[in-house]
Amino acid sequence: MLVAALLSGLVLGGTYALVAMGLTLQYGIARIMNLAYGEMIISAAFLAYVMFSTLGLNPVAGLLIAVPTGFALGYVVYGAMMTPLVARARDRASLEIDSILATFGLLFVFQGVMLVTFGANFTSYSYLNDPVTIFGTTLAANRVLALILAVVFGGGLYLLLTRTLWGTALRAVAVNPGAAPLVGIDVNRAARLAFALGSGLAAAGGVVISMYQTFTATSGVVFTMKALIVVIMGGVGNLIGALSAGLILGLVETFVATYIDPGLTLAATYTIFLAVLLWRPAGLFGRLTR
Amino acid sequence: MLEVADLSLHYGRHVALNRVSIRVGKGETVVILGANGAGKSSLLKSIAGLTKPDEGAIVSFDRRVVTGMPAHQVVEAGIALVPEGRGVFGDLTVEENLALGAYARRARADANDSREFVYDLFPKLKERRAQYVNTMSGGEQQMVAIGRALMSKPQLLMLDEPSLGLAPLVVGELFKSLGRIRERGLALLIVEQNVKMSLSIADRGYLAEAGRIGGENTASALMGDAAVQRAFLGAPR
Ligand SMILES: Nc1ncnc2c1ncn2[C@@H]1O[C@H](COP(=O)(O)OP(=O)(O)OP(=O)(O)O)[C@@H](O)[C@H]1O
Ligand SMILES: [Mg+2]
Repeated sequence: MLVAALLSGLVLGGTYALVAMGLTLQYGIARIMNLAYGEMIISAAFLAYVMFSTLGLNPVAGLLIAVPTGFALGYVVYGAMMTPLVARARDRASLEIDSILATFGLLFVFQGVMLVTFGANFTSYSYLNDPVTIFGTTLAANRVLALILAVVFGGGLYLLLTRTLWGTALRAVAVNPGAAPLVGIDVNRAARLAFALGSGLAAAGGVVISMYQTFTATSGVVFTMKALIVVIMGGVGNLIGALSAGLILGLVETFVATYIDPGLTLAATYTIFLAVLLWRPAGLFGRLTR
Repeated sequence: MLEVADLSLHYGRHVALNRVSIRVGKGETVVILGANGAGKSSLLKSIAGLTKPDEGAIVSFDRRVVTGMPAHQVVEAGIALVPEGRGVFGDLTVEENLALGAYARRARADANDSREFVYDLFPKLKERRAQYVNTMSGGEQQMVAIGRALMSKPQLLMLDEPSLGLAPLVVGELFKSLGRIRERGLALLIVEQNVKMSLSIADRGYLAEAGRIGGENTASALMGDAAVQRAFLGAPR
């Protein structure tokens, strides 16, 4: 039972980490607190569902469509909605507030479209729902795949941000947006790309989630909330922080559900969130200055 | 090479710069001296594209008009700024800061050569290349800031109070390095409080007073100028 809980916890945690990395990119680099983030995730989950059930396209192949679509959508949303806000914002703090209001509206647009199209029912599909045995316990193959995909995306993003000049430039914008233009970085362009990249990760997360969870047109808000908790716990804008905090949250939730009571997972989420913030107000890896 | 004409700038109703005109020749080292609040930083920021000057200003560089260009394009034109307070990327390493210095398209192909020059100029940076910049001393951070600016292969390097907050010994080292950069043929435009040191490596200087340019002369003449002596060098009245 311990190994089983550990594995399920890692699967869930890997998903949280994957999803939170996109949000932390959008907030850390573009300074946009995207309240419609969860809806972007669920939209991708529905896209994967539609592609699977009508076209017979398996979700891994579906990623090849969903992720670029998410990226493009983020790019367009930034251009249409955020560029005017960026242009009129006096500073980054006021941009943050404007973006919260704007994406709060966007949340209902996304949700409304999904409700009209798919209704409010729980949706799921069965892909790779075969048991596999790992370390003496059985786990659905789609969960194992979900964990592998989270590792691949997380690792890929980490390498992109730390090993390429382009990724280093994105981090430079997060670290010191005022100085970035001095080395020739177009901050607005970097912000737009970071927002699009975050949307692409939301789409990846949505597809991964759809493989092993049921979802509804209104479950986006849960994912926004969990992602926010993970981002804040890990330290805003910090990739490794999001990764560790996501894993911790997934493990804690699974252990509480397994050994104590499934009804207490949400309480456990907030307890650990508060505990971390009391212990380290800037998050596990965050710095207070900046 | 750099020609600034009629540059004015206001913050709200406060006039920070009033029809300022200066020029820097190819390979020339020019100092701007002036009291706190005279508008020196505002002038460098306007040239670098970080602030937008009022209508009517003309900034041209290498016969190209760069007035009103955003900062990231000014870098591509060959002007680099080491801002007041250094503007380094504190949460990144020395190596990453330098790599970003060559982010501009004009600099990418020669990044390795530029890095070699920077490491040769500041051997300490090579030793500390994996260190996070916000854990470094003020003098070391200034080296990172200057090194990063050099990585963009500028023809004109602008420095805003590079000696601010550094110990006298470190300031001496810093100006030695600036001398070596100058020998490379780069033009330098330096805003400084350290009048003696900066005039000693400069060709010419301007005196900035309350948003205007109040005087201009060769460095050696300024060194002997009674007004400069009184204002900056602490000579008796
Ligand atoms: N962002 C700003 N908003 C409002 N006023 C400003 C701003 N930046 C500068 N000023 C004002 O413009 C004037 C010139 O400032 P500037 O920083 O250019 O002076 P400086 O010569 O560099 O001074 P110092 O030697 O103290 O660095 C000052 O009166 C300053 O208060
Ligand atoms: Mg100044």
